[in-house]
Amino acid sequence: MSHPYQNTGDFDTIPMHQFNPAFQSASLERQSALPPDGTHYEFATYGYPETRAHLEPPGPELHRGGFRSLHRTQTTDNRYGDNRETKDDIAMENLLKRLPSRQLESAANNAAKTLHRRHSRNKSRHGAIYHSTLRDGDLEDMIGSSSLLDADEEERVEEAIRSTPATMATRRSMIQKLSSRKRKSPGFMKRMNYSIGMGWKHFKDNMAELKYTMQLWHSHLKKIEGHFGTNVLSYFVFLKWLLLINIPTLLLTLGFIVAPQIIYRWLQQDTLGYISSEKFSGMELLTGAGWFEPTELYYGYYTNKTIQVIGSKSYKMQVAYLFTCGGYYLLTIIILGQSILSSYRKYYIEAGGFQSMQIVFKVLCSWDHGLTSAEAVKLKHKSVYLEFKEYLAGANKDKMRKTMIDRCKLFWLRVFTNVVVLVLIGASGYLVFYLSGTQLNRNTLFSNQTTSAAGVSTNETKNPWLLLVLPLCIGLIHRIMPIMFDFIEGYEQYEIPKSELYMHLSRSMVLRVTTLSVLVIYWYTEVSQSPDVPCWETFMGQELYRLVIVDFIFTLFSTLISELIRRLLVGRVKRVTHPTFALARNTLELIYSQALCWLGTFFAPLLSLIVIIKLIIIFYIKMISVLQNCKPSERPWRATWSHTIFLGYLFLFYLLTTVAVACGIIFIKPSIGCGPYQGKDVMYSVVPELVDSWKEEYAWISTVIYFVSSPGFIAAILVALGMGVYMIRTIMMGRQEAVQRLKQQLVLEGKDKTFLLNLLNQVTERHTCTSVSTTVRPLTQQISPQDDIVSPGGRVFVRSLAESTLGGR
Amino acid sequence: MGNKISTFTPEQLEAYEDCTFFTSKEILHIFSRYQALAPDKVPYDMTGKEAQTVRIAHDVILTMPELKENPFKDQICKVFSEEGSGHMTFEEFLDMFSVFSEAASRDIKSVYAFKIYDWDGDGNLNRSDLEATLLKLTQDGLTQDEKNFVVDKVLEEADLDDDGMLSYVEFEHVISRAPDFLNTFHVRI
Repeated sequence: MSHPYQNTGDFDTIPMHQFNPAFQSASLERQSALPPDGTHYEFATYGYPETRAHLEPPGPELHRGGFRSLHRTQTTDNRYGDNRETKDDIAMENLLKRLPSRQLESAANNAAKTLHRRHSRNKSRHGAIYHSTLRDGDLEDMIGSSSLLDADEEERVEEAIRSTPATMATRRSMIQKLSSRKRKSPGFMKRMNYSIGMGWKHFKDNMAELKYTMQLWHSHLKKIEGHFGTNVLSYFVFLKWLLLINIPTLLLTLGFIVAPQIIYRWLQQDTLGYISSEKFSGMELLTGAGWFEPTELYYGYYTNKTIQVIGSKSYKMQVAYLFTCGGYYLLTIIILGQSILSSYRKYYIEAGGFQSMQIVFKVLCSWDHGLTSAEAVKLKHKSVYLEFKEYLAGANKDKMRKTMIDRCKLFWLRVFTNVVVLVLIGASGYLVFYLSGTQLNRNTLFSNQTTSAAGVSTNETKNPWLLLVLPLCIGLIHRIMPIMFDFIEGYEQYEIPKSELYMHLSRSMVLRVTTLSVLVIYWYTEVSQSPDVPCWETFMGQELYRLVIVDFIFTLFSTLISELIRRLLVGRVKRVTHPTFALARNTLELIYSQALCWLGTFFAPLLSLIVIIKLIIIFYIKMISVLQNCKPSERPWRATWSHTIFLGYLFLFYLLTTVAVACGIIFIKPSIGCGPYQGKDVMYSVVPELVDSWKEEYAWISTVIYFVSSPGFIAAILVALGMGVYMIRTIMMGRQEAVQRLKQQLVLEGKDKTFLLNLLNQVTERHTCTSVSTTVRPLTQQISPQDDIVSPGGRVFVRSLAESTLGGR
Repeated sequence: MGNKISTFTPEQLEAYEDCTFFTSKEILHIFSRYQALAPDKVPYDMTGKEAQTVRIAHDVILTMPELKENPFKDQICKVFSEEGSGHMTFEEFLDMFSVFSEAASRDIKSVYAFKIYDWDGDGNLNRSDLEATLLKLTQDGLTQDEKNFVVDKVLEEADLDDDGMLSYVEFEHVISRAPDFLNTFHVRI
């Protein structure tokens, strides 16, 4: 059919601004941007050969992105107050309203459709692909006429219905239709599939209910969120999450290590242990020595015998200990990996131009709807206002380029400060090393070893406080050094506060890693060889226990000082500002304590229980302190960005502790007198022995293991993994490029749309005297659900509109 | 206290569970909150059509602590109630908290966020909508010039087809890149 625009040749004299509503509603600023003289520009036609416009080079662009050139003959008298013009405005408005992109519901349904398709692409069985235009009539298509929906597909349909922005009544009717349609009687397999699926779904629902009833601290978290917003809340949520991931560790150790040990003691009526000459004094809670020593708390207590339980079934303690350790490390890495990946995916979606979008985020996403207290809301208003002011100030001033000399100076300054920081960290490491040495010498004076039958060593001067010197020093180092780092960072002149925070966190983390590694290396090398310490694993467990307790005490004190006392001093003493919750520092302390827990659980199996109790107490103390003493901070904080960073730090600590414990298992000789691995060369030797014992029964295992552990196989796996990573990376880069191209296409489509609409309006204005809007029927229902690539300026829309205007002639 | 009267029939509860992002216990909790707002108007027994007919007035709903201090509270009530009157039935109330809950998907949150920011209800965020949003955010702290500058910048960044306003598609394009959106568009009940 003939193209409706082919015969018009002189559309270049129509004033542009008449037809573009954007110009109509333009502010004075925009209008003043137009050149005041009635300069005449021609239409530029990019790639529309069928139109007969003059092919002239485009006029100067007046605002970003618009190839819209100006056509004005007389600018002044056509701008305002023409009767004919307002009618055209209305026509244009109505035209624009019918565009698919303006139809909120259909656009949202497209969103629901993508959600649906994302799921169905992963799980579509029977080759069925669903369209989820969720209007009433289309439900029939969606369900498909043939078979019973199994639970999976029904769940997906429900998910799509939940995400439909219709009213509740509409959704309920959809659900009713879904459940009340005729079903063909299914075959046996399908029925079984269905019942299994429904059973699983019911199980999941029940789990969700259980999770709701057992929700820990829900009301407390709500109160905190109401007063302080999502930033401070993220600390408490992180604390709760750490608590929850310690619980599987605790259950595993209780079930497989502690319980069998207790059963063994019960069965054997063994008088080992619990007969120390020490009476229980309160000091043991702090030092972990004394009465606690020969108990299940420490590695040294556990037996190396095989426990005969019932009849011929035996329980090998050695094997159990090692495999339980492996088990909870594996479980932890799975949980951590999943959390990091989901957090990254949720919060770090591919940006591209992220920096410039900040202002849009500030306007559209900065209000925290969870805030409920009046004071918090007031502060949030102020904070948002300050953010805008800062943005306006930053946008207006020109960034002064630093001179070369300035940059050089800054560079050398930063090198110098980093060297200073490294020296400080090295000094603290050496201090720790020195203190450990002196403590070892003193160790014989007050240790009390009764684990083995090899007699009780007498103790002379009993001063348990000496045991605490090392942990106290380490705690002090960890608290005071960051203050010095803060001081140094003041000189480093960071422009962006985010990078300053980054540096501070990294330095604190490096400090803690250094002190811990010095300790661990010292324990592995010196202590395990020392004749004064009969059971070095118990010693290590005790040291870690003391570190945990002292860390806890320090946390309490620092909360007290930094929050309570500051609040009391605010009115009285000058220059003391109201305390705000120091999120980064507190979270780092939590991460450190968790690292201690992971390091110590192998050597002191009940340490995870102690850490859980510690976390519960810290939660309540911090919550009370925050609610009573602190005010919400006025500076903005990116809770989601920092959440991923903190998870990253946690993961790093986890890897380091795993490496440390693995080194201890594989390389260090266990002590002779105590523990499950007495007399063995290395703890790890249990595993080859176990495999050997299997070899006798199942000969093929040895060949399999031989093959799997051969260098060729491992090399092949490594090469395959490397190639897989490279391939995925290439795909990612390709997709990034595609995104860029699609973005450009989007801009061009927008330009298309404006161009075509103007042509269209001109045509309709020419051919119909009456207004266009009333004669044309609404178009949205005509766009078929499958055709989801109709762009706003799409051909379908234009063609149908053109048909209807020609038909209405 | 043993309540022999059941508030909802099992079919109703199941329908609500399927339509919203809540479990049945949460739905009952929300019902108790709803009823506490107007105990004389809302009956215990909602097994009939009460969930769609009984409405609580606009200003009573706004006394809830979760909404009381929110600068967007009027708009929120308007968006979730029928015909924009602000008086909400239980189903609309449930719907509102379902969208604001933690389990709601990003897509449905962005749809309703768009509706909330669209003060004149025309399906676009034009300049006046954005200015009104700014006004609510800063409590009238910025001057008109500053507001114009910010709105210009926002349109420059987000308005892809350059028509001077943000359609839903452009809004969603921006929101899907905002990492904080899911956290901030959340009300705990």
